[in-house]
Order: sequence, then structure tokens, then C-alpha cells
Amino acid sequence: MDDIDDELRKLFNDDRLDVHVTPDATSSVVRGAQRRRRRRAAATGTFAVVAVIGAGIGLTQLRPLALDSADDLLPTSSSTASTTPPPPSVSTYTQTVTVTVDPPVGGVPNTAQNGTTAPNTTKSSSTSTTKESAPGVFGRLALGMSEEDALKTGSLGTAGTPTEAGCKPYSSVSNADPSTVLISSAKGIVRIKLPDTARTSKNIGTGSKVTDLKNAYPSAAVNGSELVVQMTATPAWVYVFENDGTAVTSVRMRLADNDCPGA
Amino acid sequence: MTAVLQLGLTAERGGGRAEAVGDFAEFVRISMPGLLRYGHALTGNPHDAADLVQSVLEKVGSRWASVLRKGDDPLAYVRRAMANTHISVWRRRRRENLVADFPDTGAVAPELSRLDNEPLWQALRDLPPRQRAVIVLRYYENLSEAEIAKALGISCGTVKSQSSKAMASLRTRLGKD
Repeated sequence: MDDIDDELRKLFNDDRLDVHVTPDATSSVVRGAQRRRRRRAAATGTFAVVAVIGAGIGLTQLRPLALDSADDLLPTSSSTASTTPPPPSVSTYTQTVTVTVDPPVGGVPNTAQNGTTAPNTTKSSSTSTTKESAPGVFGRLALGMSEEDALKTGSLGTAGTPTEAGCKPYSSVSNADPSTVLISSAKGIVRIKLPDTARTSKNIGTGSKVTDLKNAYPSAAVNGSELVVQMTATPAWVYVFENDGTAVTSVRMRLADNDCPGA
Repeated sequence: MTAVLQLGLTAERGGGRAEAVGDFAEFVRISMPGLLRYGHALTGNPHDAADLVQSVLEKVGSRWASVLRKGDDPLAYVRRAMANTHISVWRRRRRENLVADFPDTGAVAPELSRLDNEPLWQALRDLPPRQRAVIVLRYYENLSEAEIAKALGISCGTVKSQSSKAMASLRTRLGKD
């Protein structure tokens, strides 16, 4: 054992272990190191550019995503919601709602059914000067849509007896209320009642506190037992929040210019 | 004034980089012979030693400033990197070179070292690279078991077992068991 120890030490001290150093060895190593550094810097730069582009694309997609969510509003009975798989980007949408101080989205996001929409009424309190804006769309139905087009969506239920003004009420496939949708022969859909389970993009719905409603929609105007929020869109429409002074008892979307009294 | 200040800062940074590169070139010039010798001991032949030294020094040089910032002895750092790189390279080559049959004839002449006639050198070359690295660090670098363990990123127990196996193999090959 000691012999091998000694032999190993002797071997590793042997001059024959020396390796000739070529004259350009140093410069070759230095050049190689600089090349590696440049390559790494280029890779890092490329990664940074890709990351920035990706982030940009992501940000540009977030807003349409929120609008899409509103456009995809379904007639919102619980059973319908349960058969609708939540979009894969639920968390993304939630973040958007939270980050965006004044989401201009009307209607009721279907994510509300899953309880994933972040309550943002407190954040909305900072939007006192915000003008509400959102398309008057609920699921596949839209305010102003003709009766024929509405029937094609398959979202309407049974028709009721027309009113004296000639406005025809319909239930919807998810809401048995016979007057969920009111359609004027001249103006198209003039009213859509939201189900109790539905929430607006600002998380207001039946059962919400009036204080929360006022925080979410500072522009809400009192009209008898209703709070009315003007929505900027084409065609113009309003949210009508009926309430008992403490809580919201029902929500409906109403065409601003309509010829159906009591809509 | 702001522009002047920025120019000054840029020049200062540029100067710092030039200085760092200069340091590295000087380091390479001074340490190259010793590193090649050490690489020769690790790999068993001068050509692999040159490749190993070149590869590790390029990597270290590309991060020279951060290596210096860590405060380690750069030479010790490079030697540790060489030992670990040699083991990693051997692993890759081992996977690539596994064949079912031996080739009929050697296509390439074996690389000869001036020590090839030494039985101990031949026995050392036949050791697996980690065992060989442990022996080199122990008898070439005169490192303790704890230092070897730290250099190779393995436990002291592994160092002991690798050393024991290596010495047993050497004794067997040299007919000294």
C-alpha cells in the first residue's frame, strides 16, 4: 500500500507529465471565452425580447378575453353553468378584473358561476368618474336584437301573451320567468332580466348590498325603488337594479330607447 | 452634463471589462502549464488534457468577473471545474460509445503518452474517471478527503469508498495484492 502511495506521488511528480503549451494557447482561450460571453449575451437578449413580446401579446389578449367572457354570458341557471366547462384561462380573467381598475364590461361573466371572479367592489370605489361602458349582451342575446334573430339563437323559451303595446315576453332556456326577455316588434329585444345567480362584471347581482352597488357603479341614479346605471354602447342601454333600500332584489338590462312601457 | 456623466460611466465600465479580460489573459498565461499537467494526470493523455483545459478555461473566462467576485482562488476553482468536467465528459462519451461488438481493426491509432510504458500509469488510465479524479486530487493535489469531497461535490464517505476501490484496483493490476 505504501509502495503504491510512493509510486503515485513519484508518478505525479514526473516531468513526463508536462504538456507542451502552444504559443497561441492563451489567446485562443481568451477568444473562446469572449465568444462564449457574446453567445450567452445574445441568448439572454433573445430571451428578453421573446419575454417582452410574449408579455405584450398576453396583455393585448387579456382585454378581449374579458369581453369574450361577457359575450359568452349564458342564460345563467345553475344547471347551465354546471354543464359549461370553465374557460382554461379563468385565473387570467380573474387577474384582469382585479388589475383593471375600470373594467368596461357589462353583463354577467359566466365565471361568476364558479365563484372565481374576484370581488372588486372596493377597487371600483376609485372609479367615481368612470363612465360605464359595455355591450348590452347577455349570453347569445343582445339588446336590440330582432325577434327572428333571437329565436335563432335558441336561447329563448316559450312566448307569452303580448302586452298592449305589442311587446312580446319570452322565458329563456335557463329562466322559467315568462317575462325574462321582452321583445318589441320595432326595437327588438328591449329587456333582459338577469337570473338571481348572475353577477355583473363588477360582481353585482341579486342580493348584493346597495352600498356595494353604489361603490361599483358610482354613476347609479335613483329612480323610485330602482338604481339605474347608464351604459355607453350602441345601442345605449341601462342596468336597472331594483332594491329594497338595503340589497338588490333583481337586475335587468334595458334598452334606453324602447317602446315597451314598464320594461 | 448628464451626457457627460453617462459617457464617464460607460468608459468606466468599459475600462473595468478590459481590465478583467486582461487579468484573465494573464491568469491563463501563468496557469496554463500547470493546468495542462494536471489535466494530463486527470485524463491520461495530453490531447484530452488540452481539450479539457481549453473548454474549462473558456467557460470560466466567460464568467471571469463573477468568479473573481465570489472570492475563491481562481486556480482552485478551475481545477475543481476540470475534475468535474472530466467526469461529466466521460459519462457522455461512455453513453455514446457503447457498442455490441469490437471493431475489426482500430481505425485510429491510440493516443500515446510518454508515460504509456509505466505500469502504474496504465493501471491509472484504466480506472473510472471519478476514482481517477479522487486519486489525482489526493496524490497530485495533496487534498484531504474533506477537500476532495467538496471539490467533487460528493460526500466524504464516497471519497473514501472511491479511493479504496481505486487503490484495490491499482494493487490488483500491479500484482501487489
